[in-house]
Amino acid sequence: MLMLALFMLVPTIYAIWSSLFTTKIIGGRQFAGLANYVTVFESGEFWSGVIRVLIFGAIQVPVTLALAFLFAALFDAGVIRGSRFFRTVYFMPFAVPGVVASVMWSFLLLPNFGPYAQFVKQLGFGNVNFFSSSLILPTIMLIVIWEWTGYNMTILYTSLKAIPKEVTEAAIVEGASLWRIILRIKLPMVMPSIVMLVFLNAVGALQLFTEPSILAAFQPQAVSFGFTPSLFVYNTAVGSGQYELGAAAAIVLALIIGALSVAGFAVRRRNGEFR
Amino acid sequence: MTAPTAAPVTARRAKKSRAVTDQVPAHLYGLRRGTSAVLTILAALFAVFILAPLVWLLINATKSQAEIYTSFGFWFAGPFRLWQNVAGLGQDISGAGVFIQWFGNTLLYAVSGAVGATILSALAGYGFSRYRFRGGNAMFFLVMATLLVPLTSIALPLFLVYSKVGLVNSVWGMILPSMVSPIGIYLMRTYLDASVPKELIEAARIDGASELGIFVRIALPLSVPGLMTVLLISIVAIWNNYFLPLIIFSKNNLYPLTVGLSALSKAAETGTKAELLPVLITGGLVTVLPLIVLFLLLERYFRGGMLQGSVTG
Repeated sequence: MLMLALFMLVPTIYAIWSSLFTTKIIGGRQFAGLANYVTVFESGEFWSGVIRVLIFGAIQVPVTLALAFLFAALFDAGVIRGSRFFRTVYFMPFAVPGVVASVMWSFLLLPNFGPYAQFVKQLGFGNVNFFSSSLILPTIMLIVIWEWTGYNMTILYTSLKAIPKEVTEAAIVEGASLWRIILRIKLPMVMPSIVMLVFLNAVGALQLFTEPSILAAFQPQAVSFGFTPSLFVYNTAVGSGQYELGAAAAIVLALIIGALSVAGFAVRRRNGEFR
Repeated sequence: MTAPTAAPVTARRAKKSRAVTDQVPAHLYGLRRGTSAVLTILAALFAVFILAPLVWLLINATKSQAEIYTSFGFWFAGPFRLWQNVAGLGQDISGAGVFIQWFGNTLLYAVSGAVGATILSALAGYGFSRYRFRGGNAMFFLVMATLLVPLTSIALPLFLVYSKVGLVNSVWGMILPSMVSPIGIYLMRTYLDASVPKELIEAARIDGASELGIFVRIALPLSVPGLMTVLLISIVAIWNNYFLPLIIFSKNNLYPLTVGLSALSKAAETGTKAELLPVLITGGLVTVLPLIVLFLLLERYFRGGMLQGSVTG
């Protein structure tokens, strides 16, 4: 508990404290009140990053979970041969650091050279630049979906396995089809797990950092200073040395994530799903 | 709390056999003959999507810099240079840092951090599980709440505190926060609740065993699978951690693999003449392999953690 306090609470309080100051070349550190927060709130760069990760999450999270649930349900029903092998393979990206995943995908998608870019060209789409400003977000979605589908699938598979066999048998006797059983009976039964995963994935999406920061090394023009809020925090604090402003942005980000979580919990509690 | 009936170990074993005997036979779903084949192909396609980048990594770790660009990505080309590339990991190319050193650092951070996280989680989990004390529930709720605090918001404040207490560019700056694992505390509490019978502890108390003795002699041996899960999850989390070390380390001889590789990829793209790409790609392979091997060997412990994680919902 002491450790937790030391490494979670103290930094947070200190961050709130220091976000109230400003450091100037002349005059040193001065109390600035809420000026840093005003700067953050007025920064178009910061908010465009927030909107970008919200769009990102709104697409990536449902796609990841839909794929994860589809495969989990099919493996659970046993209608796919070799499901043990597939489950192991799907889970493997969990062991791959985001940095390595991003490096691999950067090469695979590299314009003109990458095998995937060449493949797309042979399909007749011409030279597609996956790192152009219009495609960079879908590209990052692709990488994140690659990384996390298996993890989500594993959790959903475990939940599905906990459904009593009798439920499925009864449905079959009633003449329900496989798809009906999966969507109408099993999906509602694992809904609590799905809700939890929506949370975890959404919080992860809002903190998006590793993938864009690595892609920035390959394609600096595609990933801007405040591409995601986390990048904004990092670049402000470490890149420009404005630690206090960075701390203020970090706190605003934490508050946004906290507000979404609380809203989510409220919805769950109303539905009677939360203890 | 319900009476602890079956220890999770036996529950897991029972689960394994249930997967074989208790499953509804697939043919009962009355699928048309082709459907199952189509679904299997669909699963195989997704497996290709998952495996392709890893295969690419393996193949390109055997190439020279020029061949990485010019040859077809999914097949071998030119002389087999894997061993030369691996040897290249021991050198400092164009001042980015030495890969072997990063590997050693990562090993140090991951093992010491994960062992510490496991011990602390066991202690805290045992405390929450066995002692009813005032504010216990509130404290546990606080632990759970920290799960939702974004890492980004913690790492920067940590850095600011570090710069006050001199932990910037210190190994401890990386290891100590890695030992704090809310999810580990949660998992250990759930596990101890389920697998250590209260009666056993009462009996040991009557026999005059000390509280510490009960923890070490009775609770710990019974919770080995749970400890393994926490240990493995912590190792993976620390091994793959990028943001925290990126912020607190500025000397490249302290970098873990993730930050080192990212520095390499930046150096590789800023157009130095040195052969950085083979180092980058081979380095990526060497970073990924230990975890994949660990995962394949100890898969059931990972899944054990998933199982308990899913109970949260």
